[in-house]
Amino acid sequence: MTSVTTTGAKSPPRILQPRLDNWPAAFILAIIISILAIALLPPKASFWVSLAACALAAASAVYNAWGRYKGGLLVAPAIALLFVMNIFPLLWSLGLSFFSYRANRMKPPAFIGLDNYEKILTDPTVWDRLQTTAIMAILTVAVQMVVGFLLALLFSKQFPLRRYLLILVLTPMMLSYVAIGAFFRYYYEPTFGLLSQFVRMFTGEPFILLATTQGAMAGIVFADAWMWSPFVMLLVLAGLVSVPKYLYEAAAIDRLSGWRQFWNITFPYIRGLLMLALLFRTIEAFKLFDVVFLLTEGGPGTSTETIAIYVYRQAIQFNKTSDSTAISYILLFTVIVLTNLYLYLANRRAREA
Amino acid sequence: MTVKTMLKGLATASAMAAVMTVAGASLAPANAEEVVLRMAVPDWPPTRIMKDMFDKNYKAPSGKDVKLEIDFIPWPDYYTRLNASLTSGEQKYNMAVSDSQWLGAFIEGGYYRKVNDLIDADPDLKATLADMHPAPLQAYATYPYKSENYYGFPQMPDIYINYYRTDIFCNEEEQANFQAKYNQKLPCTPEEMDNVDWDMYEKFGEFFMRKKGEKLAGQVLDDDFYGIAYQAGKAYDFSTMQINAFIWQYGGNIWDETQAPKGHAEGVVNSPEAVKALDHYLRLTKYMPPVVKTGSMDIFKTDELFREGKVASHIEWIGFAESTINPQTSKVSDKVAFALPPGLRGEDGQIIRWANIGGQPFVIMTWSTDEQIKEITDFVKWWLSPEVQHQYAAQGGQSAIKSVYNDPKYVTYRPWNRTWAPGLDWQKDTWHIPEFFELLVQGQEQYDLAITGKQDAKTTLDNIAAFQEKLLKEAGHIQD
Repeated sequence: MTSVTTTGAKSPPRILQPRLDNWPAAFILAIIISILAIALLPPKASFWVSLAACALAAASAVYNAWGRYKGGLLVAPAIALLFVMNIFPLLWSLGLSFFSYRANRMKPPAFIGLDNYEKILTDPTVWDRLQTTAIMAILTVAVQMVVGFLLALLFSKQFPLRRYLLILVLTPMMLSYVAIGAFFRYYYEPTFGLLSQFVRMFTGEPFILLATTQGAMAGIVFADAWMWSPFVMLLVLAGLVSVPKYLYEAAAIDRLSGWRQFWNITFPYIRGLLMLALLFRTIEAFKLFDVVFLLTEGGPGTSTETIAIYVYRQAIQFNKTSDSTAISYILLFTVIVLTNLYLYLANRRAREA
Repeated sequence: MTVKTMLKGLATASAMAAVMTVAGASLAPANAEEVVLRMAVPDWPPTRIMKDMFDKNYKAPSGKDVKLEIDFIPWPDYYTRLNASLTSGEQKYNMAVSDSQWLGAFIEGGYYRKVNDLIDADPDLKATLADMHPAPLQAYATYPYKSENYYGFPQMPDIYINYYRTDIFCNEEEQANFQAKYNQKLPCTPEEMDNVDWDMYEKFGEFFMRKKGEKLAGQVLDDDFYGIAYQAGKAYDFSTMQINAFIWQYGGNIWDETQAPKGHAEGVVNSPEAVKALDHYLRLTKYMPPVVKTGSMDIFKTDELFREGKVASHIEWIGFAESTINPQTSKVSDKVAFALPPGLRGEDGQIIRWANIGGQPFVIMTWSTDEQIKEITDFVKWWLSPEVQHQYAAQGGQSAIKSVYNDPKYVTYRPWNRTWAPGLDWQKDTWHIPEFFELLVQGQEQYDLAITGKQDAKTTLDNIAAFQEKLLKEAGHIQD
């Protein structure tokens, strides 16, 4: 760092100097202007004024960094984009969750404190949807872990056409959700669908998988597991190929059983990656939306309506904007807690090992 | 490069950008005669035909170069997408082809512009609207429903009708077997089919449900075959539209917004008549293709099943008829006929045919400029002019204007047009209040539970009534 200090003994402290590179002052000024604008001006004008103030602060920071912090400047555009597209809406919606507001009404937001959160946490519908989500997440992640793990064991061996089969197995993961939804919708369809045609060869009756709660759940879990098992496989496979060969050779000399070899040699190498796969897939499964929406719309009735679909209905269909942001924050909080729990467990295991 | 030269470069670049922007703006007046109207529409034949007719024939009376930029949005997502666009404030569209139920939600939100001033200022437009059948005009244009406040102009009026296979219904062997089994004649001509009530329709269901390998109209079936189908899907309004018809035919009612704030949901929505009606609706589903048990038998699925030759008859919006008679999209294009939808036979022997109106109005957004509004008005006048309405009907559209559809030529355009005038008299509409979508979604969920066999009609309607009573009270539509 080569910071240049030109401040003389008599000049005021740096933060009070009206200079373009005085970024802390610019930031404070921007915050004050924004707060005043939001409080005093109509929404549209306040938006533009706040934006201009933010731009000024950003310009000041860039001017200050120019020629001095090259690395920082290089990542600045990415951070700016992240701020505009992600962090700002996130903070905005967090604020909105303490207000009563519907996007399709003319009424301005009214502050109601924690009412939205109280309403949601005491709403049996939300708990029901969370339960559905939990059941679905547990089932689909369990299936993915088992199938992905077995596939990885299979593909860690050398056999003819392995490379081509591997590409085939990885394909579902690369398809879009819409394609998968449309595909499985037809696959399960009782009149034209392959599944029904196949079952009918034995029973003579068309098979209507999505008519029952259990069937619909099974259909969704299968489709989601079909799509994401390869992801688990990929991670586990990476662990499996990293196990040094000599350990197995040593184990063979010691006449260790296959089970002991797996438990004492293979498993420690893939445990971290398995944890990672579990973490990723659980977070994703918790947000499960696309496949459910395309396959069942949450039906029959609301029996497969996950919390993500519930939020979508509240936010986009019913325009309960602030209620749905509150649910989203509860969800975000849940996912963060889950993640930390996993990381904690994973770290503890690693330390024990 | 020093900081100074870099800053200089930056300044030069931004100056150039500014110059280019100004130049772009000053270039615009060269095409000043061009007016762009952006419109959101559902993606289906009635709007595709409109776009085609506009591109080929439309000359703006003002002499300006009017461009229609249309976003075709699939039906199941249309409400959600338009809702997102309007509430986000992006002000992307100047007009939309809006489903009639949305009026309340989007008028209260400040998006749809009231058009009474445009109608009053234009005697021609006023005369055209006066010549319109009241059912579609009230459903598509008025808010509150049946008031004098107008917010739209009919684009495509629509009703549902009975699509059936002549090769099956008119087959002599089937005719003889039906006569032997039920001691009744199996209808064949559209006139005979007009006289079909729900009891007869149920018999079609029972009679034509055949297994793979059995014979149908002299042919051995290579797949299961079904007699009847109507909408029973979970998404959007894909069961409500048909269930409402049953409820009205039985003398029941949905929550009636014209009775607000006195009219209740409890006791009306779950009246004994309504329960009987829903039971009847559910009873017929057992003769329908098995997909009905999954909650995905929407209007697109019954249409697909019919065009693929898997059902003998289905009840469907007229908007789908064009693709049914097109050999490129339909396996039954040359053996389909159209009749009035079945109804409930009253004590006097007449069929009660109340049905839920379909179809959509044009609406204008509040942020459209005066110039755009002028062009939109001219466009709407062009669309509602008798010649264009006749042209539209000749290509498979429909007209709500009496002088157009009462013209003897009208019924000759398409085989289903004969059902149009008599069908229109039996139309009612669902709610237009801003909360309609919550009512609709909750109703659809409850109906889905009934259709998939999870709960009976009484419980379903009790749940719906309780939900509506609570919601409507909170919203101030029901006051004690």
